[in-house]
Amino acid sequence: MGQPATKEKEQEEGEEEEDPSPVDTKPECEESCKPRCVKQLLHYEACIKRIEGSPRKHCTGQYFDYWGCIDKCAAPKIFRTLK
Amino acid sequence: MATRVRSTTGVVARRLSRVVVFMQEKQALRTCTTQSTTHHGLELLQVMKCWQQEAGYKKIAGRGFRLLALLGAGATGMLGLSGLAYADEAEHGLQSPSYPWTHNGIFSSYDHTSIRRGHQVFKQVCAACHSMNLIAYRDLIGVAYTEDEVKEIAAEIEVQDGPNDEGEMFSRPGKPSDYFPAPYANEQAARFSNGGAYPPDLSLICKARHNGQNYVFALLTGYREPPAGVSVREGLYYNPYFPGGAIAMPKVINDGGIEFEDGTPASASQMAKDVVSFLTWAAEPEADERKLIGAKWIFVGCLLLFQVGHYKRWKWAPIKSRKLVLDVVN
Repeated sequence: MGQPATKEKEQEEGEEEEDPSPVDTKPECEESCKPRCVKQLLHYEACIKRIEGSPRKHCTGQYFDYWGCIDKCAAPKIFRTLK
Repeated sequence: MATRVRSTTGVVARRLSRVVVFMQEKQALRTCTTQSTTHHGLELLQVMKCWQQEAGYKKIAGRGFRLLALLGAGATGMLGLSGLAYADEAEHGLQSPSYPWTHNGIFSSYDHTSIRRGHQVFKQVCAACHSMNLIAYRDLIGVAYTEDEVKEIAAEIEVQDGPNDEGEMFSRPGKPSDYFPAPYANEQAARFSNGGAYPPDLSLICKARHNGQNYVFALLTGYREPPAGVSVREGLYYNPYFPGGAIAMPKVINDGGIEFEDGTPASASQMAKDVVSFLTWAAEPEADERKLIGAKWIFVGCLLLFQVGHYKRWKWAPIKSRKLVLDVVN
């Protein structure tokens, strides 16, 4: 439970900094969602290992699963920080 | 009597135990399938192995279980094959998430300050490559700007007009009735300037793409490193939301790319959100009016419904409360 508190603090600091040069909140929101999508990340990493050395294979499916998970979690968070 | 009772309880107990075993089997199945999630190939073997282990562990290798296992394996195999048929997952792009737009509700109107900022983003960023040929300056009156502001904005462009009395074309400052200027004379010119890619017209883009506004927002802010094994040729950029993954448009919405006139911090997400609000309005300018009319209709409809109900009861009251008496005395 300690993490969200620090995140909020970071956010506040970010907002203060925003006046001179605006900072995008999206990467931060996505970062905070990564712990929820560890399973997909592990699948993706396993895929990277599996396809090593085979030139025609790719991990798009696992990549989509991972970012789909992050997006689903981050979407409301991003809009909460926007005007 | 007592024995009969005992025997029935025995039957019940046996049945119960059978149910329990069945539940265990189901559980085992479920754990196996969740352990080896999606993505074809070796997993069929893994699933079989897993089932065998589970079965051995719980000492349930009944016929029903085997049948179930075979069925499951067959289903997984079919799924695997269908996966092969759609080998390129990037074909339709990554599904964009549902963002909580403020105008999403059935009675929610557009955020008009957002539309105003969005027009600014469009004018200063998107309009360099994209046309928007169904929107005239006058459409913005009462939506994002006042009439005087629109006149000023329209006067910033030069428009070819004519012929005049001498039969010659001339250029004049724009009027509110003029449509947004196109950055290129025709499609060929647009393709030539953009490495063969044609920047689509944005008038109806939020209706012309699947999951319109969410897609556009996700696309604008979704430039990422490509997944392992995917490379994009020079001149293209990787964007998971774009069908196929390789898009010719670079990331143009960047932090501090413009300065909003109302002082809103112009972060990339903010700009993207505003421009998507603007584009959504452009694709569906009647939405506010439509929702307002809908609300009025629903209100009046409720009144009418109440009246109709009351009228029906009033008309039926004497019929329902009458008493038929059969006089048998005479």
